[in-house]
Amino acid sequence: MPMATRRSALAEGWSAVWAQRSARWGMGIVLAYVLAALFAPWLATHDPVHQAVEASMQPPSAAHWLGTDSFGQDIYSRLLYGARLALAIGFGSVLLGMVAGVALGLLAGLAGGRTEWAIMRVVDGLLAFPELILAMAFLAVLGPGVDNLVYALALSFVGPFARTVRSDVLQVRAQPYVEAARLMGVPMREIVVRHVLLNVAPGIVVQAGIRVSIAILLESGLSFLGVGVAPPTPDWGLMIAEGRAFITMAPWIAGIPGVALAILLVALNLLADGLRDALDPRSGEAR
Amino acid sequence: MDHPAVAEEDVPLLSLQAFSLARGKVDVLDNVAFELGRGQTIGLIGESGAGKSTIALAIIGLLRPPEVALRGSIRFDGVELTGLAEAQYRQLRGNRIGLVFQDATAALNPCFTVGAQLAEPLSRHLGLRGNERRQRSIELLESVGIGEAALRLDAFPHELSGGMQQRVMIAMALACDPQLLIADEPTSALDVTIQAQIMELILERVRARSASAIFVLHDLALAAQVCDRVVVLYAGQVVEVAPAGELFAAPRHPYTRALRACSIELGQEQVLAPIPGSVPGLEDLPAGCRFAPRCDRASAQCAQTPPLVSDGIRSVACWHA
Amino acid sequence: MNESTVPVFSVLDVEKRFLLRKGRGGPVELRALDGVRLDIEAGSSVALVGESGSGKSTLVRMLLGLDRPGEGRVLYDGIDLQQVLARDRSRFAREVAFVYQDARGSMNPRFTIGEIIGEPMRVHRLHPAQDIPRRVALLLERVGLPASVAVRYPHQLSGGQVRRVAVARALAQEPRVIMADEAVAGLDVSVQASLLNLLRELVAELKVTLVFVTHDLGVASYLCNRIAVMYLGRILETGPVDSILQGPAHPYTRGLLESFPRFDRPLRAPLRGEIPSPVDLPAGCRFASRCPCVQPQCTEADPVARALDGRRLVACLFPLSGEVAAA
Repeated sequence: MPMATRRSALAEGWSAVWAQRSARWGMGIVLAYVLAALFAPWLATHDPVHQAVEASMQPPSAAHWLGTDSFGQDIYSRLLYGARLALAIGFGSVLLGMVAGVALGLLAGLAGGRTEWAIMRVVDGLLAFPELILAMAFLAVLGPGVDNLVYALALSFVGPFARTVRSDVLQVRAQPYVEAARLMGVPMREIVVRHVLLNVAPGIVVQAGIRVSIAILLESGLSFLGVGVAPPTPDWGLMIAEGRAFITMAPWIAGIPGVALAILLVALNLLADGLRDALDPRSGEAR
Repeated sequence: MDHPAVAEEDVPLLSLQAFSLARGKVDVLDNVAFELGRGQTIGLIGESGAGKSTIALAIIGLLRPPEVALRGSIRFDGVELTGLAEAQYRQLRGNRIGLVFQDATAALNPCFTVGAQLAEPLSRHLGLRGNERRQRSIELLESVGIGEAALRLDAFPHELSGGMQQRVMIAMALACDPQLLIADEPTSALDVTIQAQIMELILERVRARSASAIFVLHDLALAAQVCDRVVVLYAGQVVEVAPAGELFAAPRHPYTRALRACSIELGQEQVLAPIPGSVPGLEDLPAGCRFAPRCDRASAQCAQTPPLVSDGIRSVACWHA
Repeated sequence: MNESTVPVFSVLDVEKRFLLRKGRGGPVELRALDGVRLDIEAGSSVALVGESGSGKSTLVRMLLGLDRPGEGRVLYDGIDLQQVLARDRSRFAREVAFVYQDARGSMNPRFTIGEIIGEPMRVHRLHPAQDIPRRVALLLERVGLPASVAVRYPHQLSGGQVRRVAVARALAQEPRVIMADEAVAGLDVSVQASLLNLLRELVAELKVTLVFVTHDLGVASYLCNRIAVMYLGRILETGPVDSILQGPAHPYTRGLLESFPRFDRPLRAPLRGEIPSPVDLPAGCRFASRCPCVQPQCTEADPVARALDGRRLVACLFPLSGEVAAA
C-alpha cells in the first residue's frame, strides 16, 4: 500500500503541473529540445564539425536549412548537437551540485553544533563568489573541457543547494511531526528519509529546475568567453561568439543559436515555476 | 448623523429585521432577527460557522457590499445602518459603538504605545488634546483596573500580559462612552481566572454607563452568566431567542437542547450527548431548517424554513417546538 | 511483580529552569518546574490542570523523556527514566503514546492517514505488514471514522477528524500509557463532547493509564479520576476528582472552581490580580499575591505538599476545611 499511495502522490504532482497552461508550454518545449538532442545524429543533415570553406556564411537555404557559419559548418546540425551538450552540461552539473549540496545541507541541518558551523562557513566561502567567477577560476586551474566545465558549474551550485536544504531541514525538524515520530520510536535513519527528506524534497526539485537554466546560460557564457568548451565542438556559446564578428553581414550565425538558447531558458523557467506551484503545500491545500 | 428626537425610549437600541448576508450565492446569514434594548446585554452563541462574528462585523459595517450582499435591515438608535457610507460608519465605530476583539495581541498595534492608541479615539471623536487627553487616558486605564496607569501609557502592548492587553482594549472601546459595546469572544484567549475578572469588568463598566452590549460567545455557561438574553444561531439562522435563564433551564429548540446536552459542567456525571453529524459547509447548506439533517425530531415539514415565532418573551424557529 | 504497588511514573522533586536571554540585565532564569512531586498509578487517569505558565506541558515533556529534569528524577516503573531510555528507548516509545494539541501538525503532511496510523505498527513490528491496512481500518472504525479516510491526507480532514486520527495512531502502538496535551481544546462543544466520550470509553475499555493536560476543569473532571492542580511550576493540590470538586483544600483550587462558568450561578471573579511571571517568583507561597485568605506567614515560608486525608496532598500553610465551593 505505501508504494501505491506514493505513486499516486507523484501522479497528483504531475497532474498539478499539467494543469497549468504556461508550465505545459514549458514542458512541451523542453521535451522537444530533449528529443532533438537525443536524435541529433538522425535529425542532422550534415556532420556538425565538417568545414567547407567554399560554403561559408551562406544564408538559410534548401541545402543548409539554417545557413552556415564562417567555417562553412552547417548551423542546423550544429544546433542539434549543441542542444545535446547544453542539456547534458546543464542537467549533469545541476545533478552533481545537487547531490553534494543536499548532502552537506542535510548533514549541517541534522548534525548542528560544530559540524554545522564548519560546513556553513565553507558554504559561505563558496557563496562569496558569483557563480561565473567561481567557475572561471576553477576552469583556469583545471583547463577547459566538457568534463571540467561540468565540475566547475557543479561546484558553483553546491553552496546555494546546501544553504536552502539546511534551512529547510531546520524548519522541518522543528515540526511536531518529526518529534512525534521520534516519540513513536521511529529510528533516526528513517526519520531523516521519510519525514525530513520527503518534506524538503519539493524545495530541492524546484531549486534544481531553476538551476538547470542558470547552468545552461553559464555554460554558454563560459564558452563564449573562451574558457569553456574548446572549438570546433558544436556549442551554442561558441557559435554565438564566433558569429559575433559577422553580426551585420550574417546575423543568422549568432542569431539562431541565440534564439534557440533564449527559448530553452524561458521554457525551463516556465517549467520550474510550474513545479514550484504544483509542489507548494499551500496551493495543495487550496485544491 | 441625525438623532431622531422622538420616543427614544420606545425604540430598541439595535434591531435586526429579516437581515440576510450573502457571499456569492450563499446566504451566510439567513433572515436574522433580534432586538437589543437599552441597557441590555445579549449573547450570540452557536458553533463555528454559525455566523456569530459575521453578525457583529455586519453591524459595525466591516462586512459591506460589494464584498457581500445585504438584505433586510439593521437599525441602530432608530437609524438604518445598511447602506451607510464608510465615513458615516467611522463616526459610529469607536464612538457610539465600542469594539472588543478576541485577540488583543492582534488588535493592538505593536508599534505604538498604549497611550498613543488610547489617544486616537479621544482626539478623533471627542476632540481632546494635550494634558486633558492624557488625563482622560489615565482615568480610562484606571477604570479598567490597570494600576500605575500613568506609567502604563508609555508601555508597548507586548510589555503587557494577555489580560492587561484585553483591559487596554476594553478601555479603548469605552473611551467615548459608547451606547453599544460589541465584544467578540473577549476572553477565549485568556485563562479562566482572568476570564472571570475581565467579564466582570466589562459587565460592570457597561452597567455603570447603562450601555448595551453584544457578546459573541461559544461557552454556553458563560453566556448564561453574563447575558440578559441569548440568541442561538445555527448555520446562519436564528433558531431561538430567549432570556438567558429560561433558555438554558428549558430550551425549546432541539438545537439549543442538543448544545446544552453536550456542554460540559463541573463534575459532569451524565454522559455527554454529542450532536450527530457535523455543521454543514457553506456550499451544502440544506434547504429549509438547516439543523434538520442532524435533528432527532426532523420531519417532512422541516424542508420548509420554520418562521421565528415569538410569544412576547421567547421566540423559537422550529415546527416541533 | 506486583503492578499496583509501583507507580507507572514517579516524579521526585523535579526542577526545570530555562535560561532566557532577555532584557538588559543579561540572562534571566525562568523556573518552569519547581519541586514537583507526583505519582501516577497504573490504570489511573490523571489530569494536570493549570493556567498558562503553570508548567503542565513542561511536566508532560519530562515524563515523555523530551526534556531532562534539571534536578530531581522521573521514575518509570520505579527505574530512572534516563536509564530506561538508554537501555531500551524503543520499548518505552511503544508503551507510552502521546497525543499532541496540534494534531494536524503532528502528522507528516505527505503521508496518508493510513500510513500515519500504520507507522507505529510497522516500526514496532506489532503486526505483519500485510495485516496493517486491515488493522488501520479497524482502528479508524474504533475512533468513529470511515475506513475510506485511510487514503486521505491530514489537510483534507476537519479539526475533529484529525484529533480522532491522532487518537487512533496512539492506540495503534498498543500503549500502557496515553499522554495528551490539550487534546480537546479549541473544538466546538459537540465535537469536543464526542471526542471526550471516545477517550472515556477507550480508557475504560483498554485499561490504559491516562495523563491528560488541560486548562479546563470541566474536561478534567469528566475524563479523569485524579486531578493535579498546577500553578507556576508547582503542584498545589492533588487528589481524587470528586473530593477536590466537593471540597478544594487549596485556595487556588477553590478560585479555579469558582471562576469556571456555570449555568446555576452568577458570574464571580474570586481571584484578583495577574498571574505573576515565572521569571521572578515571589518569596514564600507563589500563590500568596492572589490568595484571598493570605496570612503574614505565607510570604515567608514556601509551603511543602502535605498529606490531607490519605489520598490528597495540598501545598498550603492554611488549607481550607472543605465543603466550601460546591455546596
